[in-house]
Amino acid sequence: MSERLIGIITSSFFKILIPGIKVTIPLTLLSFALSLAVGLLLALIQVADIKGLRQVARFYIWVFRGTPLIVQLFIIFFGLPNIGITLDAFPSAVLAFGLNLGAYNAEVFRSAILAIPKGQLEAAYMIGLNYPQAMVRIILPQSFPVAFPNLFNNLISLLKDTALASSITVIDLFTTAQQIAARTYEPFALYLEAAFIYLIFSTGLTWLQRYLEQKLVWKSDKKR
Amino acid sequence: MLEIHNLHKSFSGTGVLSGMDFKVDKGEVVAIIGQSGSGKTTLLRCMSFLEKADIGEIIFDDYKGDMAHISQKDIKMLRMEMGFVFQSFNLFNNMTALENVMEGLVTARKMPKDKAKEKALEVLAKVGMLDRAYYYPGELSGGQQQRVAIARAIAPEPKVILFDEPTSALDPELTGEVLETMKKLALEGTTMVVVTHEMSFAKEVASRVVFMDGGVVVEQGTPQEIFGNPKEERTRQFLNRALHKL
Ligand SMILES: Nc1ncnc2c1ncn2[C@@H]1O[C@H](COP(=O)(O)OP(=O)(O)OP(=O)(O)O)[C@@H](O)[C@H]1O
Ligand SMILES: [Mg+2]
Repeated sequence: MSERLIGIITSSFFKILIPGIKVTIPLTLLSFALSLAVGLLLALIQVADIKGLRQVARFYIWVFRGTPLIVQLFIIFFGLPNIGITLDAFPSAVLAFGLNLGAYNAEVFRSAILAIPKGQLEAAYMIGLNYPQAMVRIILPQSFPVAFPNLFNNLISLLKDTALASSITVIDLFTTAQQIAARTYEPFALYLEAAFIYLIFSTGLTWLQRYLEQKLVWKSDKKR
Repeated sequence: MLEIHNLHKSFSGTGVLSGMDFKVDKGEVVAIIGQSGSGKTTLLRCMSFLEKADIGEIIFDDYKGDMAHISQKDIKMLRMEMGFVFQSFNLFNNMTALENVMEGLVTARKMPKDKAKEKALEVLAKVGMLDRAYYYPGELSGGQQQRVAIARAIAPEPKVILFDEPTSALDPELTGEVLETMKKLALEGTTMVVVTHEMSFAKEVASRVVFMDGGVVVEQGTPQEIFGNPKEERTRQFLNRALHKL
């Protein structure tokens, strides 16, 4: 390896890592938070079987799961301005990733809620709770540990998918690597570096998942 | 106090209850016996609106209503005056025994937490589960779970408590503690409707025994009448089988 290449790799590492920390991670976390809210809402509409809204929820899920994420990104960032809605690149990305993953998380929440035995809801009714109270107090607290592994897997996928934000001018980890690669004519080294940093992030999340799952398993074991 | 008239219920065309009449007075302990599939559970579930009746009338103290067209608001109001003990306990898995008992008081009845806790500890003591107040359902035996479930049902002091085979999911050595707890409640004058396969419990504790078959009440009377001198052939056959199995 030439000295020049080593110099490029070492000097670019932090230049890539910093937008990774300042952009990729916040983008991932904000999108994920949005996807949790959207997913939970869509799941509740479906399991509560709210007339009319259920069809809306199914339609939403059908559309967002049936079209490419990058197309959704383009519609929000490049398309919406045509109908008078102009958003910056970063909020556009949060919106697209959050709305998209919301459709997937809706199914995760829905099956986790349906996994709770019917007797829990019936017992809640018989002590005088109404449906919303039973959901909040009894069903959802038991659904979260069930949903957790799949939600976390979706979070890890999201982290990697945020690289698509570079296509709508978000200056994230990957965009920065692209810029340096273009300037130095060393795409092989730079993209390997970018891949390496994503790997560090996703490994960190995997460790976090394992740690949290152990706590949850212990807790739900106790509770079973 | 609680009366059901002309209750009909079928599941996808198959009639389970066909014009059932049933009543329980204040302070009574009514044991419902009958073959598997005779509709005992369905009766309790219709009475508590966990299952929607096809036809039927309910009279509960001053309330009178059509069971097939009852509003959610009325259902909630009636359930506030009923307790239900399930065959499979159905304790809330995300809560300790104490929290299970407090839930109906705090969330449904808006009782202040400290008062609810006091009340919950009192009923847990009554069912002999005070020392397990801070255990989760998964840390309790079946018999202990069912006793907590009974505490949960009685804590709001409902007018009537419905039991659906409270001991049939339990190992034989654990049924005794649950039956003892129920006996204690009966002696205190709690109004109870108990679906049971425990003939000895029906004999000793019930003030009235109802024999159901084919979706109607075939015969009812005091335990002496039903066990000592059943009038109907079907009752006799059922009791022969049930008592010899033991
Ligand atoms: N949800 C349901 N859907 C369809 N059929 C049902 C349903 N619940 C009960 N049944 C049928 O209704 C009949 C009466 O059931 P039920 O559970 O009331 O009987 P049971 O007297 O409680 O019997 P067991 O002593 O076995 O508990 C049975 O034939 C059963 O298969
Ligand atoms: Mg039954």
